[in-house]
Amino acid sequence: MGVSYIPVARIGELNPGAMKEVDLGGRQVLVAFVEGKYYAFSRQCPHEEADLKEAGQLLNGTQIRCNNHSYCFDLKTGDCTLPKGGAPLTVLPAEERGEEVCIRLEW
Amino acid sequence: MSYDLLIRGGRVVDGSGLPSYVADVGVKDGKVTEIGKIKEGAVKTIDAGGLAVSPGFIDHHTHLDAQMLWDPYGTCEPQHGVTSVVMGNCGLSLAPVRQGIEDAIVKSFVRVEAIPRIALDQGVKWNWHSYGEYLDNFEGKVGINVGGLVGHIAVRHHAMGEEAVERKATGTEVQKMKGLVLDAMEGGALGMSTNRNDRHMREDGKPVSSRLADDDEFFALCDVLAERNAGVIETILGRNKVEHFEWYHELAKRTQRPILWQSLQHRWSEPNLWREQLAAVEPIFKAGYQAYGLSHTVPLVRHFTMKDCQIFDEFPTWKNLMFLPVEVRKQAFADADTRKKLQGELDNLRETNYHKRWDIPKIEKVFKPENQKYVGKTIAEMAAMRNQAPIDAFLDLALDENLETIFWNANNGGDWNAMGEILRSPYVLIGTSDAGAHVLFGADFGYGTILLGLWVRERQVMSLEQAIHKLTFHPASIFGLQGRGLLRPGYAADIAVFDPKTVNAEEPVWANDFPANSKRMVQQAIGMNYTIVNGTVINDHGRMTGELPGQVMRGPLYRQHKAAA
Repeated sequence: MGVSYIPVARIGELNPGAMKEVDLGGRQVLVAFVEGKYYAFSRQCPHEEADLKEAGQLLNGTQIRCNNHSYCFDLKTGDCTLPKGGAPLTVLPAEERGEEVCIRLEW
Repeated sequence: MSYDLLIRGGRVVDGSGLPSYVADVGVKDGKVTEIGKIKEGAVKTIDAGGLAVSPGFIDHHTHLDAQMLWDPYGTCEPQHGVTSVVMGNCGLSLAPVRQGIEDAIVKSFVRVEAIPRIALDQGVKWNWHSYGEYLDNFEGKVGINVGGLVGHIAVRHHAMGEEAVERKATGTEVQKMKGLVLDAMEGGALGMSTNRNDRHMREDGKPVSSRLADDDEFFALCDVLAERNAGVIETILGRNKVEHFEWYHELAKRTQRPILWQSLQHRWSEPNLWREQLAAVEPIFKAGYQAYGLSHTVPLVRHFTMKDCQIFDEFPTWKNLMFLPVEVRKQAFADADTRKKLQGELDNLRETNYHKRWDIPKIEKVFKPENQKYVGKTIAEMAAMRNQAPIDAFLDLALDENLETIFWNANNGGDWNAMGEILRSPYVLIGTSDAGAHVLFGADFGYGTILLGLWVRERQVMSLEQAIHKLTFHPASIFGLQGRGLLRPGYAADIAVFDPKTVNAEEPVWANDFPANSKRMVQQAIGMNYTIVNGTVINDHGRMTGELPGQVMRGPLYRQHKAAA
């Protein structure tokens, strides 16, 4: 068991509301800078697998809408907020460590 | 008598459910005219020795409303033996329409059915107003038979404009909608559909208009069908609850029309739900009404490796491991304490979509000869062979093959016994292909060929005769498709000729055949030799012949209305 911090961006690299794509262990992840914080989440919408790099739209607050079917997700928890009860978005914990944004993966 | 078409020596599975038999089938002027030992010749003869000859399949749950306008075959329907399709399901139809509401309808199709907007913008010309005029577009221009339901969403927008997604209808507006439904039925609609699924939104995030309708409105519209004794009522209410069945019962009793509801399938996450649904619907039939649950034949299968998979994302440690660099992940998978933690997450009683069972996922493909003996086994079976705990057997095998072993899993439709009971139920109508919809996500044109290949031949959950009945005369009867769905003299010569030893569906693949070269998924068939529509071959071993013998299947009110006129 252990913990890994995987750097995915430099502090200041992303403008507010911007997203960056990252490969983590072969999985495609998006890192977004929203309301002064970084969020990391799967690039694939859990509803019908749309690519959130193309179909994802950051909304006010920490929400992302998949424009394929208008499903919305909370980037903090991954919960599907519209419609409620939909499959959750896979989110990963992003932390600022020094000059870097890292994903904290514990096992 | 000389025939236009003679199908010699096949095993006739006539759609009734009765035992099949070997016979020749003679076709003249688009109809079956003789079945038996036929001596006369024909313009065209098909040797069907060793093959099954059945009525063409009727795909009653499609969203081909737009696609049929640019693709006269509804590709890939004929490749799978489908000769007739019903459009207009889930509250969505392209008619009736008036100037100014076209985009409201498109917004709904784009989101609910995931049809690319560019395809709809370029492929739909809106040269109609009424439902009957919409159907007129297909006369003489289609390869398969088409019919449709009038969708509540278009009806509501027609009566209320954009306010249809904002509020309840007034009494005057409900009367207007009733008039539109009647006009659609007299124009040939086979029934009406509605959508109350709280997950179904438009492109702009607003609910589809039918979700704003209350029972008074919807029942009033259904009364149009009830008063004239015509048409089916197709519904989607979202996740099924017990109170839904009270609603279906009330609707069925009030209208005495066939009610269709979605949907019924075995899910490992709710393994008893299907049984509860069948128990809940039985009293409706016992009381003398019809409320058929729609069920799919295609298991929701995922193929995965431990190099790249998402199916464990609901479990925090599993999820984190799957995002780690592969070499670190492999070390973690080999660690006994980590394995204990991983198994602990699966043992947690928290409700998840993943079934958390080792007797369901199977080993599909291995890369080392010594592991070949595990192919086709479940992980539980493999663990027993190796005398290991399942998690150890699973991860040891994956590690032994550099995480490249391919596993098979089905969260839905993977319990053979449950699926057998569901598919055999007299209260179940098989088929939710959704053809024409969700085109970037999948393609289930092969729901019929999968029924015949997977469930009849491989799993033997029902006889070929029962399955063909479920694909043909059963939907024809419910939808009132007169003269179709059976192989009998006088019936339309809509015929599928297939090899019961090989028939099945291929995996979906990408194509760029939608308007503006937009892409979508298509699915080819195996073992479907010929598809014949109204006596004309349209599919010859997977190749479309270019013939367009399809007809518009209009409902009984159309015929009455025309006769009265």
